Amino acid sequence: MEQHDIHQDNQSFGVKDCTIIRRMGGVDSAFNLRELRERLRNCPIECLYYHFCETLITPTFDDPEFRNDFALWAAQKMRDLALAERLGILNPYSFDDFEDMRERIIEIIDERLSDMQYIPSVVRGDEFMFMQAATVVFDTGIELYTPQDLIKRLPEMSTSSIYYHFLEARRRTTDRVDDFTFWMQFQENKPEEIIQALAQVDFYFLSLPELKQALIDSLEGLQ
Amino acid sequence: MIERTLKDYEAVAGEIAISQLRQLAQSLKGARVVHVNSTRVGGGVAEILDWMLPLMQDLGLDARWEVIEGYDTFFEVTKTFHNAMQGNPSILTQSMIDVYEKNNEENAERLRPILEEADFVFIHDPQPAILLDLCPNRRGKWVWRCHIDSSRPVRKVWKYLESKVQNYDASIFSMKDFAQPLPHAQFLIAPSIDPLSQKNCDLDQQEIDTVMAKYGIPDEVPVLTQVSRYDRFKDPLGVIEAFKTLNQTIPAELVLAGGGATDDPEGQMVLEEVRDASSGYPNIHVLLLPSDAHRTINALQRGSAIVIQKSIQEGFGLTVTEALWKERPVIGGNVGGIRLQVHDYYTGFLVNTPEGAALRMRELLRNPYSLQRMGTTGKQFVRENFLLTRHLREYLTLMLSLERGITNYVLTESSEN
Repeated sequence: MEQHDIHQDNQSFGVKDCTIIRRMGGVDSAFNLRELRERLRNCPIECLYYHFCETLITPTFDDPEFRNDFALWAAQKMRDLALAERLGILNPYSFDDFEDMRERIIEIIDERLSDMQYIPSVVRGDEFMFMQAATVVFDTGIELYTPQDLIKRLPEMSTSSIYYHFLEARRRTTDRVDDFTFWMQFQENKPEEIIQALAQVDFYFLSLPELKQALIDSLEGLQ
Repeated sequence: MIERTLKDYEAVAGEIAISQLRQLAQSLKGARVVHVNSTRVGGGVAEILDWMLPLMQDLGLDARWEVIEGYDTFFEVTKTFHNAMQGNPSILTQSMIDVYEKNNEENAERLRPILEEADFVFIHDPQPAILLDLCPNRRGKWVWRCHIDSSRPVRKVWKYLESKVQNYDASIFSMKDFAQPLPHAQFLIAPSIDPLSQKNCDLDQQEIDTVMAKYGIPDEVPVLTQVSRYDRFKDPLGVIEAFKTLNQTIPAELVLAGGGATDDPEGQMVLEEVRDASSGYPNIHVLLLPSDAHRTINALQRGSAIVIQKSIQEGFGLTVTEALWKERPVIGGNVGGIRLQVHDYYTGFLVNTPEGAALRMRELLRNPYSLQRMGTTGKQFVRENFLLTRHLREYLTLMLSLERGITNYVLTESSEN
């Protein structure tokens, strides 16, 4: 994906929002681990991005036990909790390149396959279906001029805005930081405390409403 | 058509959701959008278009809704398509294809100028699907919107339909399980309900009591209700069987309430079978309601302790969404979109047999606390996922995505500045 510089100048920050629409990944479904491995090898990288990152802003009934769809499938459909745990701990934002993550997932599946006496399959309806999504980004009309504006206006931002600026930004920007931090680095009096507080939020395992609250809490009382 | 504005939805969907829609629609202002389906009343598609049109117009889109016309023979053919798409063994003959194509050609004569000038055309379900071929000078993006559970279609029928829909720019399915391989992008949009419609708005207890009394439904015992067309896929006979089993241990009333749709000629036959099966049971109420009896259905759902939707094939199952919105737990068939909405022990129970339905009816009626807890959970679930604001947002997102060429990342004009 190309890098999008959302900052119009070094002073202000235009808050954006995003919506996604899901679509089929264009890859055959997988009924067992061996098929999953083969499909993973060839699927568009956007499928990996969807199942690890964008799945967070799609409708779900409750907070799932794992944050990526591969781990969830392993746990809920394959009933393979060991594999689910190994896949579930992967943090997509810690990889420099999603191709590296693809290799790591395949490595984990290969290890699991080598332990198996036979390869169990799921019934029709429980197969893994590869998906991807189109993201549309738009302005919210909210403009931040100082770091204090960020603290003040965070509560009125949508969870999809939080997703776009705090999570998705890490894929967009070369230094893999959130948009807020990137913006504040250019402030005349760099707000170290705020930047530090944002850096300490352990975001990957939170739902978006939880992440929004964690950001609000971490910045509370800071100047 | 109901004239409501987005402002009306702020209280129920939240200011952020409405603001998102307005921002998103900025880049689509003035776009000519045409929806085409086969009935203006009856069924989930007509209900969706009923609210979607005025809201798209409120957002500045030039949206209109066209309905194809046809004789009974045409709707018998399209009912065959519908059944076949849901996997019901069906035979498609050349004479049926001729009826289908000729009828659509007549409609195309009337609709062609509008459709060929439109920026976006949404063709709903198989009935008008061939219109794309009949509009060779089209300039906009054409999307085939399939509302049916098409996960296991009759191959020969699908092969014919596939030849008619493969040239669309994109298709939309309600669930990933329903999508069929096609040579274009297949998007997923779950349907939704309008919380302010006559069918879903709040009612006072007096109005609910009046409706229940009108149909002779006593209020001394719990009421269980299934609202759906008289259609074999909705399994009304299975519901009656389950209720009869329940009735051996718990006194209750069963309401089967359905309307007819102009494109469903099979309904009368199923209704007769239902009447036969309930004959001799004064606590089973079989109601044939007019297509505009939305407020009555609302009252029946709210007057019930449990709502049933024991389908054996289902598209999305909007009656389930409606019941959850009214804080009623749902006992639903373990099929289609019902699986997305009914979560065991949280919003109701998924069942596979009449015995399973009887078991869960009994379990819920014996546990009033569970009834209440599941009701609260269900409403919140619908608020977060299945209100029309989410649905509209996804249509706008799809249009923007199509307009810019289907990619994985689209910036709207104002965001690019």
